[in-house]
Amino acid sequence: MLSRKLALIVMLGTAGFMSSVAAEIAVIVNPANSAAVTNDELTRLYTGRSSALTAVNLVESSPLRSQFDEKGVGRSSAQLKAHWSKLVFTGKGTPPLELATEAAVIEHVAQNPNAIGYVAAASVTDAVKVVLTLN
Amino acid sequence: MKKSLLALSLAVALVPCTVYSNTTINGFASIKAGITTGSDDQLYGYDDKLNFKNESLIALQIKSDLGDKLSVTAQLLGRGSDDFDVGFEWAFVSYQLSDNMTINAGRLRTPFYKYSDFKDVGYAYDWLRVPQGVYGLGFDTIEGVTLYRTAQLGDVDSTLQLVFGGYDGDASLSGARVNARIDNVAGVTWELAKDALSARFAYLTGKTTIDTSPVTLAPGFTVGNLYQALTANGLAPLVAAIDIDDESSNFIGVGLTYDDSDWIAVAEYTRVKVDNSFIATQKNWYASLGKRFNSYTPYISFERENNAALVGIYQPYAAVLPAQLLVPVQGLIASQERDANTWNIGLRYDFHPSAAFKTQFSSEKNKTMDQRNGVLAVGIDLVF
Repeated sequence: MLSRKLALIVMLGTAGFMSSVAAEIAVIVNPANSAAVTNDELTRLYTGRSSALTAVNLVESSPLRSQFDEKGVGRSSAQLKAHWSKLVFTGKGTPPLELATEAAVIEHVAQNPNAIGYVAAASVTDAVKVVLTLN
Repeated sequence: MKKSLLALSLAVALVPCTVYSNTTINGFASIKAGITTGSDDQLYGYDDKLNFKNESLIALQIKSDLGDKLSVTAQLLGRGSDDFDVGFEWAFVSYQLSDNMTINAGRLRTPFYKYSDFKDVGYAYDWLRVPQGVYGLGFDTIEGVTLYRTAQLGDVDSTLQLVFGGYDGDASLSGARVNARIDNVAGVTWELAKDALSARFAYLTGKTTIDTSPVTLAPGFTVGNLYQALTANGLAPLVAAIDIDDESSNFIGVGLTYDDSDWIAVAEYTRVKVDNSFIATQKNWYASLGKRFNSYTPYISFERENNAALVGIYQPYAAVLPAQLLVPVQGLIASQERDANTWNIGLRYDFHPSAAFKTQFSSEKNKTMDQRNGVLAVGIDLVF
């Protein structure tokens, strides 16, 4: 587990992602999706209080993840994990699917009309639509 | 909460639309150690010898998604206090009736308190343990069915839960293990949340039967012996007023939470009543305040327990009861008297993405016994 995490960090590091410590985060949906997403709705989607869209996350080892937890959901990663453990261990919810890379998030959102995800603003491609930018 | 990356990437690659993760395994564990601060103190199962077992536990949860909105969940939990013997804490089938309605059937948690559902998942809250003065009721699980309905009432998130079922198992009474049953449990809980504020109401009723006859009152003299002697003396109505035989019971709980992600304040008040029995009405509450400093969350809380023994039960009989029967009746009823205040001070430290270190000092002032008990505990709560 740890070595995989380490390998991932090293991988991301060499790929130059580590430099994007305080990157702008783009919240993305499928181009076919015309829904407007407010900050409030984003929080609801990523805390399991709304299932209007199906949220996908980056894995915890991704540096962008903790930034998104703070800026997008307004909670620390530990607080969000505590929140989701309440739901998971009482059978009330399942946390968003976790994907390993921003490319996987873009691919997933591009293929699922109901999906919502996030990537660094610089990583956005034409395959997805930006609905919200977090600074 | 972490699924196999390989399985996921395969699933994403092969099934682009709907991804059914068939079976997921999650777990949580708490390793805690505690010791009383005074050599004669006893509290929460601790004494003056350092104990690593008493509050430690480990659990595995298996959830299988059968598709078409049907799933089955089983949670296996072993407690150190039971020598880590594993039992099913939850085991239920869940069916999603609609986007905002789910029905669960099987073994569930009885939703008495705000933290009832996840009180064993220490990682989910800041305290080292849920406030024992309020959460000490027992009867944690229920076999039955529950319906959840979520809704948005304007800006307010509403969660309504209905529960029906029964409990049949052990209970602890004056330190003795006794058989207990609560039949025809029917309850409703309602939680309202807006921004940082949330409020919770709970009301449950049932018919309680507790077999108190094995409880020893004096060497060689049990509650069962007392009931026989009273009946033999023509005092069957007094037995009926004392014993716990299919008695109407109710529970009321009110909770308030403020959590703006920096400050967290929680308070709960509960009242438990068992009619026509020697069980005192229990009116308990706690209030807790914590402040988050990045990974550190210090907190302080206060618990109040106030159970007045129902001395009125035997007063009409005081003149006619022979002393050898009056004294044990008084003793049994007086055993329910409890007047205690507890202060807790503690700290949660999130030292790892999946684990939290906690320490808590609790000091209980038992006014009934004129005794002070202190416990210092440390531990780690984790989820996986």
